Amino acid sequence: MAYGRYALDYSLSTYLCDLTFMQTINSNKKNTLSWLWLMALTVISTFIGLVINNKALFIASVLFIVFLKGQQIIDIFMELAHAPKLWRRLLLGYVTLLPIIIGFIYIL
Amino acid sequence: MSNQLNDSINSNPEFTLVGIKNEQILEKCLPGDLAMWFFILAELTVFAILFIGFAVSEQLNAEMFIEGKAKLHQISGLINTLTLITSSFFVALALNAMHKGDGKKSAKLLVIAKLVASVYIAVKVWEYMSLFDQNIDIETNTFFTLYFMITFFHLMHVLLGMVILIFIAMKAANNEYNASNISGYESGASYWHMVDMLWIILFPLIYVI
Repeated sequence: MAYGRYALDYSLSTYLCDLTFMQTINSNKKNTLSWLWLMALTVISTFIGLVINNKALFIASVLFIVFLKGQQIIDIFMELAHAPKLWRRLLLGYVTLLPIIIGFIYIL
Repeated sequence: MSNQLNDSINSNPEFTLVGIKNEQILEKCLPGDLAMWFFILAELTVFAILFIGFAVSEQLNAEMFIEGKAKLHQISGLINTLTLITSSFFVALALNAMHKGDGKKSAKLLVIAKLVASVYIAVKVWEYMSLFDQNIDIETNTFFTLYFMITFFHLMHVLLGMVILIFIAMKAANNEYNASNISGYESGASYWHMVDMLWIILFPLIYVI
């Protein structure tokens, strides 16, 4: 009986997970806006050197754009915005810490 | 029944069923298999070491890296970034279609994603060939050793990702995925997004800064 209740809870939670996931997270409009934002950021980061002459500011700007793009991919494309916090934080930590480390190497 | 359930879930964050709150349900939603996420973390770690190694080498050989970067085709790097982002976008749309039970549409979107990604491969091969024509290869200097090593390693990940997407598209076309059996699809999609995310760091590091 106890096992049966566990199986029922599990299957319901899986079903509800999928149901809520589909309705609250997956949105073609959200994906499209994110895609446009990523494309715009890519073009900006490629040519930002033409308007920023200060090397440190240029590197910091490019690396900040890396963080912004990484956050979009993690939260929208990978759909981790509503994933267990540990996994979202691990991935966001990656796109935060790695640019900071690279920035320190280049700027200092 | 299903619509009433949906309304209850969406209108009330405190909605509970079998003791599970709506917010708690959302918290639990890790797309794909847990094993795939550990694999993704391992891949990200390997690339982080390569990226940091590249940055440190650049500081130790500043002039060599400036000369090396000047020989790269920045626009091809830009095109590759745009193609990978667009490909990732179509994979996200394909997963949405699969969540809605439309396997055929999902498979078509995955084919578009692969076609866009094949532009990346064509551009990358062209880039390598144009460097070889200038007698530049992996042994030319430290910059090009790292350039070829990192970009080729990434290219291998793109090719593996494309193989995974082919399998997913075939299964999606046959409607082999459903609400309770979509983990494999989500794992493959997550892997593809990881490949995209790595290029987003690689591109500015090698081509822009």
